[in-house]
Amino acid sequence: MQPSIEPILEKFPNKQREDLIPLLQKIQDEFGFLSEEIITRVGAYLSISVNKIYGVATFYDNFRFGPVGRYHIRLCQGTACHVAGSTTLLQELEKQLKIKSGETDKEGLFSLEVVSCVGACGLAPLIEINGEYFTGLTLSKLTDILNSIREKDQTVYES
Amino acid sequence: MDFQIAVNNSLVDVREGETLLTALRRQGIKVPTLCHMNRFSPTGACRLCVVEVEGKRDLITSCSYPVEKGMKVFTNTQRVIKARKLIVEMLLSNHPDDCLYCERNGNCELQWLADEMNVKERKFFAKKNPYFPDGSSTSVFRDPAKCVLCSRCVRICEETQLVTAIDFISRGNQMRVNSAFNKGLNVSSCINCGQCIMVCPTGALTDISHIEKVQAAIDKKKKEVLFFVSPSVTASLAEHYGLKPEKNLGELICAALKKIGADKVFDLGMASDINILGEAKQLALRIKNGAQGPLFSSCCPSWVKYVEEFRPELIPSLATTKSPQQIFGKLLKTWYTKQRKVMPDSLYSVAVMPCVGKKFEASREEMTHKGISEVDAVLTIRELMRMIRTNGIDLRNLEPVPFDEPFQGCSAAAWKLGYAGGKAEAVAQELFESMKTSDKETFKFIMPKNIAGRRESKLTIGKKTFGFAWVSGIEKANSYINQLIDQGRTDIHYVEVMACLEGCAGGGGQPINRLPEKPRNRKKICQDMEKINHWANASENSSLEKLNRSLKNSPDVDNPETYFHTHFQPREVLK
Repeated sequence: MQPSIEPILEKFPNKQREDLIPLLQKIQDEFGFLSEEIITRVGAYLSISVNKIYGVATFYDNFRFGPVGRYHIRLCQGTACHVAGSTTLLQELEKQLKIKSGETDKEGLFSLEVVSCVGACGLAPLIEINGEYFTGLTLSKLTDILNSIREKDQTVYES
Repeated sequence: MDFQIAVNNSLVDVREGETLLTALRRQGIKVPTLCHMNRFSPTGACRLCVVEVEGKRDLITSCSYPVEKGMKVFTNTQRVIKARKLIVEMLLSNHPDDCLYCERNGNCELQWLADEMNVKERKFFAKKNPYFPDGSSTSVFRDPAKCVLCSRCVRICEETQLVTAIDFISRGNQMRVNSAFNKGLNVSSCINCGQCIMVCPTGALTDISHIEKVQAAIDKKKKEVLFFVSPSVTASLAEHYGLKPEKNLGELICAALKKIGADKVFDLGMASDINILGEAKQLALRIKNGAQGPLFSSCCPSWVKYVEEFRPELIPSLATTKSPQQIFGKLLKTWYTKQRKVMPDSLYSVAVMPCVGKKFEASREEMTHKGISEVDAVLTIRELMRMIRTNGIDLRNLEPVPFDEPFQGCSAAAWKLGYAGGKAEAVAQELFESMKTSDKETFKFIMPKNIAGRRESKLTIGKKTFGFAWVSGIEKANSYINQLIDQGRTDIHYVEVMACLEGCAGGGGQPINRLPEKPRNRKKICQDMEKINHWANASENSSLEKLNRSLKNSPDVDNPETYFHTHFQPREVLK
């Protein structure tokens, strides 16, 4: 059973159209993503059509519509990382994880997100997984990281 | 006119505050547009309306730019034409290019633009849109791959109809028009009015076609195919083919349908008369019981769906009389089968309507009888016109064929259902007929001036006065009803609501043509037909009496009072 979004809604008592984006952001901070139920509830609360909210939310890259994986990979596509070959990394990630940017794999282990510059250009190319940075990546390093995460997750799962 | 501007080196009168496009079009200067819609605020999205203005560095969009004093405008310089051509070429870059297989082949604004701009080769090779078509709706078919993102459907759905069943999803080159959560239209709040189809410049929005279904039934030897045609269809075809509004106008359509392969063709107008009488009876009862608030008409399936989705509190105020289409369908599949001593499933009933919402109505669960739908297929006027073309029929040179027995003829009232306001008048007339105290009283129903898109009229019977109102377009209906409630008005007893602007004359199943005079012409034909009809109102229709007597004695009719009635319930959708 998911916790209720009502406490967040109560913070916006004016129920105005301009409350929409801050409200969605707060909800995503709390729940990690925007579900259909949440969007429908927000629509009823602010008297905005569900489709309108979905349109607004899909306009911004930062809103997600499914849960993130246990390991959320954020790949930097800033200029420096791009020059250093982050597109190859992205292709490799998409190939290995069998998901596209913005998606979560079937096991709920990995999710992938492409972000703009994270401000560590000297260490390009890099990814961030659950707050931990992996820098100066190559394809083999990337494979090692993914494998080690899979192993770690497996042991956690078994124990 | 307030001042003059120079257009292509000649002086042109303009009004202060109007857009450049309005001024240019008044002069008959052709400026291509895609996203522009009359009566809607400009978006300047498609940029096809660009013109060159002296002293301005960039080309400006005439649809969103107000006229200024001393302006020097050029509408067809090489720079303007090149820019417009480039826009069309870019729009074509990811277009499926399957014009030959497209519903809108020959009637497509993108096709016309490519022709006008002299596009002769593919300039940009872009990836085709990978979007799947959405055929989940009962009425509207969407093919996002053909969409040019002009936003006309989105705006009409949101602003005129308050429904917002479709909107822009995602951004940049991923952007597309879709329903909420990319789910089908069937679970969206779509009310099937088809106004999006009417404004779509390409084949991205079309109706769910029943032509093949109907043709298959015609081809089946064992099935008897029964067509019934709404008077407004007759009016629209007469308008389209330039037929004169004469007594045998309907019989020409009948002749055409017989040529197409119909076994029987009936005039739906008789069911319109039953519907009008039914609603008038309900209204009289409501007034007698002193019920709160007005009675709302329910013959428009889109309005009914809107109420079920967005305003369920109004459901008790909806007239429960079935719509003409369903009345006729029910008659055919129950009473008529008994008369003919045939099984209901050996008959195939096809309604021809000016509406795509009727396709939805025919598929409603309440509209089936012992597992057999009352109406098996609904053709829009567009579909009928296509069948007429396919069968090579020349409507102008046909011998009229009378409609089939036993349903014959309709009153002038049935023709009134073809345009906004007609229904209210017809119901008022019936109320008058049923309540008048002496024959000296005459029916007076004054049509007042249009007040902000809705009209009201007063009807005096004896010492009592009753209020009738009519609105078309959901946004107008909604605000009018809110106003009635807010002001606590009790003087309005009946409200006719039609989801499409101008009622069925501007319906979603009409031929696609953006000329504003078309609905008016159709209305005019309906009114002409009223004048030459020998029954002035629904209760004068003498064939109904015979039918009613027969119905009362029919074992199939368990309760004649509820035989032509239906019910509504709140509807859960993504709204």
